[in-house]
Amino acid sequence: MSKTPRSTTQCDSLLAGYDAGEYFCEMFGRRGLSHTRAVRDRLNGLDIATLRRRAREAENELFNLGITFTVYTEDKAIDRVLPFDVIPRILSTKDWQTIETGVKQRVAALNLFLYDIYHKQQVLKDGIIPEELVTGNPDFRPEMRGFDPPQGTYVHVCGTDIVRDDKGNLRVLEDNARIPSGVSYVIENRHLMMRAFSDLAQGMPIANVDEYGSRLAKALSDVAPAGVSDPTVALLSPGVFNSAYFEHVFLAREMGAPLVEGRDLVVENDKVYMRTTDGLEPVHVIYRRIDDDFLDPETFNPDSLLGVPGLFRAYRKGNVTLANAIGTGVADDKAVYAYMPRIIKYYLDEDPILANVDTNICREPDGLAKTLDHLDELVTKPVGEAGGYGVVVGPRASKRELNTLRRKLKNDPANFISQPMIKLSVSPTLIGRALEPRHVDLRPFALTGKSTWVLPGGLTRVALKRGSLVVNSSQGGGSKDTWVLG
Amino acid sequence: MAKSNLLSRFAANTYWLGRYLERAENLARILDTNETYARDTSGGANWQRVLDLYSDSARFHDSYDTPDAESVLNFYILDGDNPTSIISAVSRARENARAVRHLISTEMWVQLNAFHYRLSHLTRRDIWLTNIAQACAGIRLDCQTFEGVAEGTFFRGETWCFYQLGKYIERADQTTRVLDMGYDQLHGEDGDAVAAVNRDVLLRSVSGYHAFRSRYPSATTPQDIAIFMLYDEQFPRAVTLCVNYVTARLQDLEKRHGGIREIDLEKSRKSLVFCLETGLGHRVTSRRLHKFLDDLQIALGQVSDAVGKAYFG
Repeated sequence: MSKTPRSTTQCDSLLAGYDAGEYFCEMFGRRGLSHTRAVRDRLNGLDIATLRRRAREAENELFNLGITFTVYTEDKAIDRVLPFDVIPRILSTKDWQTIETGVKQRVAALNLFLYDIYHKQQVLKDGIIPEELVTGNPDFRPEMRGFDPPQGTYVHVCGTDIVRDDKGNLRVLEDNARIPSGVSYVIENRHLMMRAFSDLAQGMPIANVDEYGSRLAKALSDVAPAGVSDPTVALLSPGVFNSAYFEHVFLAREMGAPLVEGRDLVVENDKVYMRTTDGLEPVHVIYRRIDDDFLDPETFNPDSLLGVPGLFRAYRKGNVTLANAIGTGVADDKAVYAYMPRIIKYYLDEDPILANVDTNICREPDGLAKTLDHLDELVTKPVGEAGGYGVVVGPRASKRELNTLRRKLKNDPANFISQPMIKLSVSPTLIGRALEPRHVDLRPFALTGKSTWVLPGGLTRVALKRGSLVVNSSQGGGSKDTWVLG
Repeated sequence: MAKSNLLSRFAANTYWLGRYLERAENLARILDTNETYARDTSGGANWQRVLDLYSDSARFHDSYDTPDAESVLNFYILDGDNPTSIISAVSRARENARAVRHLISTEMWVQLNAFHYRLSHLTRRDIWLTNIAQACAGIRLDCQTFEGVAEGTFFRGETWCFYQLGKYIERADQTTRVLDMGYDQLHGEDGDAVAAVNRDVLLRSVSGYHAFRSRYPSATTPQDIAIFMLYDEQFPRAVTLCVNYVTARLQDLEKRHGGIREIDLEKSRKSLVFCLETGLGHRVTSRRLHKFLDDLQIALGQVSDAVGKAYFG
């Protein structure tokens, strides 16, 4: 017997049973995408048992490396690995160029918008966006008015959540302009993938992701206070109990920067110092991974034990730079999001390169009426929640859930937006003994000091539950390596 | 981006990382050794001896009844509520390592993480008397593997200095404790088989049996063993050798920070060296040795406190 039929059988077993159904598939597209052909061929050379074994090894390695996030129950802390799927998500160069330029455009608009609303507020005076939505927003920080951050940059690190609809169009789902996380997984996933599947990647022109740490250090040095030529940059973390602590460690290491907590910092004469074995040492730039509210108990939440008393005074005096700036939360608000196309047009006089998802703003009577009329068809989101909490997917919600939502909407319409249900694209994902379609999104990371740079690819999150559209790690999501293939 | 000094908190973290792992290794040695001694005697009293060694008797009796092998081994290996247990030491080492993960090598973290995982999956069956030697050997090997990984991968900067300080202060302290516990069992008339076995066991517990044999081909008096464990500069667990390393690392730190900043630290180091060199006297008696070992432990504790005051903020 010749060996050929056997390998054909294996080939059939791996991708032949795969059916993306009504969704756009990142691997096959509508008719089979040419840029993924080589990967598909190589995948077909593997059998399911090998794939499963390697996936298991990869997962063990994640655990051993301690690439975990911590889940706290009543009496103990459990380390969990963010599930890693071994089938890469592949972006064509053409798609990537669209994403890269689109993200840069958005970040530029966000920074101009933030500068404006903390200075002349021309965008409000010109009626582009309702004033109340901005100045009435809990994340608008009046303390920031009239303050000039170095380089005019507010959003130094931006994570833009992008999805692809059933037509294959890329759309922005939300901007994360506060403390976007997940970039460490992009880089660790790549390392893991190169170790476990070097044969799959061999000789492929995959865009490199290892530059991120040095690019971040550079961007943060760019925004040092005036007159500081060789700034000390520190990463401020809430500490080991924070679920993203692994990422803080990772980034501090990649930058070669000290990883500090509030208790390591002290403010004297409006200057920030850290306590070292050689005494107090000045700090010029702080990449902070602590929310605005907890940064400085003197200015914000007085109960915060994580922050540094006096930090805001030092910041306002220009003696230290915070990245991201304080008060960026108003720009990535889910309600402000709806105005982003108009904001882009207003400041840049350009059409958005990446489209928004159509959004009904429930604070507006029209938007509320539309939402209430089509509650069972729309995805309704509270504007003040992160991590996918409180999202109701109309077509999949029970009558009771919809009734509860209807009541909440009527009580507090300003707290909600609604969007048509996007049929998120899918990507083949190893589930049990087969490759099945699972929904994915994409979060590219943009760094802005003097100029903006976007890490090629980004974090692909995948909803591992069959049919689920929620990709968040707190809700059963996993991640994939993301390849930009030239 | 400017190069900055080590945060005080991280200095403390690496110091304690070194101390806790050394402690775990030595505790495994002591439990293993004691189990071997206990075979020839009546049992209960010998396990009480370990509790006395660490002044843990009162805390032990809060949660356990009789200090038999099973209870004491559980107390010192698996009991996470006991802060002086091996699992507690390794958990704390891991928490300290987690805080300085960006300053230690990935390999160190992976080994410690895997060690912690293995340890937290040990069951009471694994530490039954018939299995205890194997369990202790596994713990020792994991500690030694970590040490080997650190030797090969840990950047020799300030962080490493604090790690070494913690390790050698703890090791010196532990050697005094092993000697303290074992010394009185070494005595016997010529040809006393039990005493002879005890001498071998004590030496083996500090991995010093062959070294001692080649150093003193014919001598085996308890005094010789004590002198060897305390003063032999080529024996890695000897107190003198540990104190020499502590001195060298303190000098590294002084150089780095520009001269002697902390008078108290230098004072406590000098009195430790003085105690070690002159405290025992020429004629070693059991009573004098135990008193001397207590003094050494106190002097080591004073150096440790002074390091904290000088560098940990």
